[in-house]
Amino acid sequence: MKKSLGAVAVAAVMALSLSACGGGSSSSAESAKGEINYWLWDANQLPAYQQCADDFAKANPDISVKITQRGWDDYWSTLTNGFVGGTAPDVFTNHLGRYGELAENKQLLAIDDAVKKDNIDLTQYNEGLADLWVGQDGKRYGLPKDWDTIGLFYNKAMLASAGVTEDQMKDLTWNPEDGGSYEKVIAHLTVDKNGKRGDEAGFDKNNVAVYGLGLNGGGDSSGQTEWSYLTNTTGWSHTDKNPWGTHYNYDDPKFQESMEWFAGLAQKGFMPKLETTVGAAMADTFAAGKSAINAHGSWMTGQYTGYKGIEVGIAPTPVGPEGKRASMFNGLADSIWAGTKKKDASIKWVEYLASADCQDVVASKAVVFPALKASSDKAAAAFAAKNVDVSAFTEHVRNKSTFLYPITDNTAKVKGIMEPAMDAVVSGKAPASSLTQANEQVNALFK
Amino acid sequence: MTTLAKNARSAPPQTGAPKPRGGYRRLGDLKIALFFIAPAMIGFIFFYVVPTIRGVYLSFTEYNILGDPTWVGMDNYTAIAKDPLFWNSLAVTGQYVFLNIVLQTALALGLALLMNKVAKSTLIRGALLLPWMMSNIIAALLWFWMLDYQIGVVNQFIEWAGLPRVAFFGSEEWAIPTQAVINTWRHMGYTALLIFAGMQAIPGHVYEVAKLDGASPFQTFRKITLPLLRPVLVMVLVVTVIGSFQVFDTVSVTTGGGPVNATRVIQYYIYQRAFTESDFGYGSAIAVILFLILALVAFIQMKFLKGNESDLD
Amino acid sequence: MTTTTSRAPQQAPARRRRPFNPRTAGAWTLLVLAIAVSVVPFLWVLRTALSTNSALASNSASLLPAEFTFGAFMRVFGLQSPADAVAEGGSGAAIDFWLYLRNSVIFSSITTAGAVFFSAMAAYAFARLRWKGRNLVFSLFLGTMLVPPIFTALPNFLLIKNLDLLNTMLGMVLPYLFMTPFAIFFLRQFFLNMSREVEEAAMLDGAKHLRIFFQIVLPNAAAPLATLALLTFIGQWNEYFWPLLVGSQDDVRVLQVGLGVFKSQSPQGAPDWSGLMAAVLVSALPVLVLFAAFGKKIVNSIGFSGIK
Repeated sequence: MKKSLGAVAVAAVMALSLSACGGGSSSSAESAKGEINYWLWDANQLPAYQQCADDFAKANPDISVKITQRGWDDYWSTLTNGFVGGTAPDVFTNHLGRYGELAENKQLLAIDDAVKKDNIDLTQYNEGLADLWVGQDGKRYGLPKDWDTIGLFYNKAMLASAGVTEDQMKDLTWNPEDGGSYEKVIAHLTVDKNGKRGDEAGFDKNNVAVYGLGLNGGGDSSGQTEWSYLTNTTGWSHTDKNPWGTHYNYDDPKFQESMEWFAGLAQKGFMPKLETTVGAAMADTFAAGKSAINAHGSWMTGQYTGYKGIEVGIAPTPVGPEGKRASMFNGLADSIWAGTKKKDASIKWVEYLASADCQDVVASKAVVFPALKASSDKAAAAFAAKNVDVSAFTEHVRNKSTFLYPITDNTAKVKGIMEPAMDAVVSGKAPASSLTQANEQVNALFK
Repeated sequence: MTTLAKNARSAPPQTGAPKPRGGYRRLGDLKIALFFIAPAMIGFIFFYVVPTIRGVYLSFTEYNILGDPTWVGMDNYTAIAKDPLFWNSLAVTGQYVFLNIVLQTALALGLALLMNKVAKSTLIRGALLLPWMMSNIIAALLWFWMLDYQIGVVNQFIEWAGLPRVAFFGSEEWAIPTQAVINTWRHMGYTALLIFAGMQAIPGHVYEVAKLDGASPFQTFRKITLPLLRPVLVMVLVVTVIGSFQVFDTVSVTTGGGPVNATRVIQYYIYQRAFTESDFGYGSAIAVILFLILALVAFIQMKFLKGNESDLD
Repeated sequence: MTTTTSRAPQQAPARRRRPFNPRTAGAWTLLVLAIAVSVVPFLWVLRTALSTNSALASNSASLLPAEFTFGAFMRVFGLQSPADAVAEGGSGAAIDFWLYLRNSVIFSSITTAGAVFFSAMAAYAFARLRWKGRNLVFSLFLGTMLVPPIFTALPNFLLIKNLDLLNTMLGMVLPYLFMTPFAIFFLRQFFLNMSREVEEAAMLDGAKHLRIFFQIVLPNAAAPLATLALLTFIGQWNEYFWPLLVGSQDDVRVLQVGLGVFKSQSPQGAPDWSGLMAAVLVSALPVLVLFAAFGKKIVNSIGFSGIK
């Protein structure tokens, strides 16, 4: 009895799966038309890309694009499920921190042939962006769509009452020994409950009302917005080479010295303790008047300028000991899933997304900076039209003071190791020298 | 456990313990029984047994979800034995379970007493159940918002009271207790209801005798209510302890394992290794260990608390 | 078993309206405190939902809504244009509320109906039939409570994929449809205590097990079945991980997953707290309605079988 029941169930399962296999296979003619699925995470950019999709469909009547927006928190897990389950989108917004692993697992379609055939000029993009998307195997896995750099968002009213001018903000210097004029300004902007400033005698570091500098978190492996704009002015870099480095440098004394200074800010009461930052987003605490300066990415501009009742300015990151500023340069791209059934249509859509036609539309919405040089300028103009001066971000690109987001294998595991290690250092629970041991663990992944 | 239906007054007379079943039937119900459990059996086999076996198999492999699994024998298990984060996750989970269970059981017991003696309106009892009607994720997000250090309302009240603000999620000392309290908040009403149900099954005459003997309420509670409630309490404990070991949602939407490793509980660590770091073999091996721990804990509880015997006979 | 609403006998003693009893007063104080702890957070949900998201941070010390608006609720129902939403500091993401609501209702109803009915059948076999291996099979079923859900998630996902049922309602409900260990245990406890005489009388009549089950057991168990159904429904309504895994596409996405659009949309971004809280209230409404309708049953009858 039991056996026959089992057999029935197995037969039923087989029947189900067999009947499901009926559809499927597509000829090359079909791969150039029909509906393609496109995913992105930033809802603020949805209107721009929807317009791109509509324009694209007009120009290519036999292709339609269905856009799905999915928040960052769920984006990557849902995407991975899609790869495993065969339901991934044909085209999706890709991130530098992720694509190495996706390429290695053969989930991405190389598009070199199409780029060559369609004569796409890769020099029209901001320098370095196109190269980021060439994998370790020398193949191209995406066309650049936008970029971001880091800047200092500041509360204009707080600066005014502290007597710090906006010009001063543009000429800040920093070094890991005494923090330079950057630390002086941060200290001066810090105010305790009794109204004493951070650089005055009698400042109570345990009862701070306004911190000079906001803190987002420990920064895990990249420190993108937290500390990399400082550490990388000292000549230090995350990996031996980038992209595709195989050795991380968290054991470098130069780096550890910088981190020691950074953690020290919290000890001095000029920056919130790490433990107080687990909760509301750093931007929200800035809006609540709890910090005067926040170092944050250009993609957050809309958020900061959107708060009610707060005047926000943006200054470039400080000049480091080697006389230059530094900002991580992160670029996104559109990639094609290797399992797509609409290969030709997907390529067309990716090329359209990377073209001036679409990137100018994105620029006009003043949300992010498109990858094309010409479109970047248009975006800056669109921001200016909204009374937001974004030169702090574009300056890095103009002056070539950017360094690339570290691209390596094993990024998820590196992050898994560095996140608690960095938290321990930034919270003052461990000295920066403890990073040497974490660094050994990280580098062991590459053996 | 067998006494629970006794409060149902108009129930037909009980035939007593379920064991002596009329001898009119031989052991011949197998066929009809198979018919009755067939659907449940399908669910059991396909969605519990098969995936468990598949998971156990994967625990002996290296598998990154996107590729194919390769057999590595005991490698994952030997690596786990040497993995400080695994041992940390055990310690953290243990701490959480202890706090959560002690708090939840004590509060639920108190609430059940109140429900039994004072709060007789459904509205009041229902109000106590409200938190349980929210999902874990939502409850966690809500408290994440209310307990924020800088702009959370709870810290606002703490400050108004003249006390220093507390980093509920961010400090290593507070992170686990905070998680435990949030889940206690969500579950205490429901747990209280279960215990309350057990209290209702205690016959009234036992209390009357105690009253005649001049027992104080506290004595009554200690000498009568608690012992008679034991089977119910044990069942509630077994179930809540198992549930408590599987804490995941609250951690995943709030602290994500931090600060440092203070809330990297075992389920979260499994998730991190298996899904975030795409090391499914390793994650599965930890899950197998967790399964064994749960089985052991359940067994010990049943054994030592004598959960399947009632004192009421 | 129609007695579910009757109170336990020992509650009757005439303790009402004594002049003043410090003990009673103390008990009421504790009770009021417990109720406050349970209910007050919901007031905060409401306050946040009625606020303008971009004004929340700077008004964190105010107990009233920050810049009062119904905007968050309009966002939830998809009545606010993305531009207006962004202007209020909310999420510009699209949410198809009614579609998600429909999916949630379908998902929760089907799984509840299936799990309760099939579990009742199995519980009957475990409680009322005698067969070899009964206790062993029952403990195996119970043992599934010990299997960490995260452990079976991926294998189950692969199974659903092999059946080609990803992003279908069938694929989402299948794992819950046939049984839950809790339901079987819950009902078995109850069936064990049901009177045998009724059944025996029917037996003499020559009624078969199916008839006994449908005509005697199920009707007599209406109260615990309703309680179980309500408990299961609430659990399923709040289910998150599995629907996220299997039903991420719009046409099968359930509310709990849909709420994700109010969480942070970009790395390090801030969530749309107003939108999220409004969505929480709206999505909890069906559960609250159900509870208001049948709450008395749950609260007063969970008991019997009660214990998991």
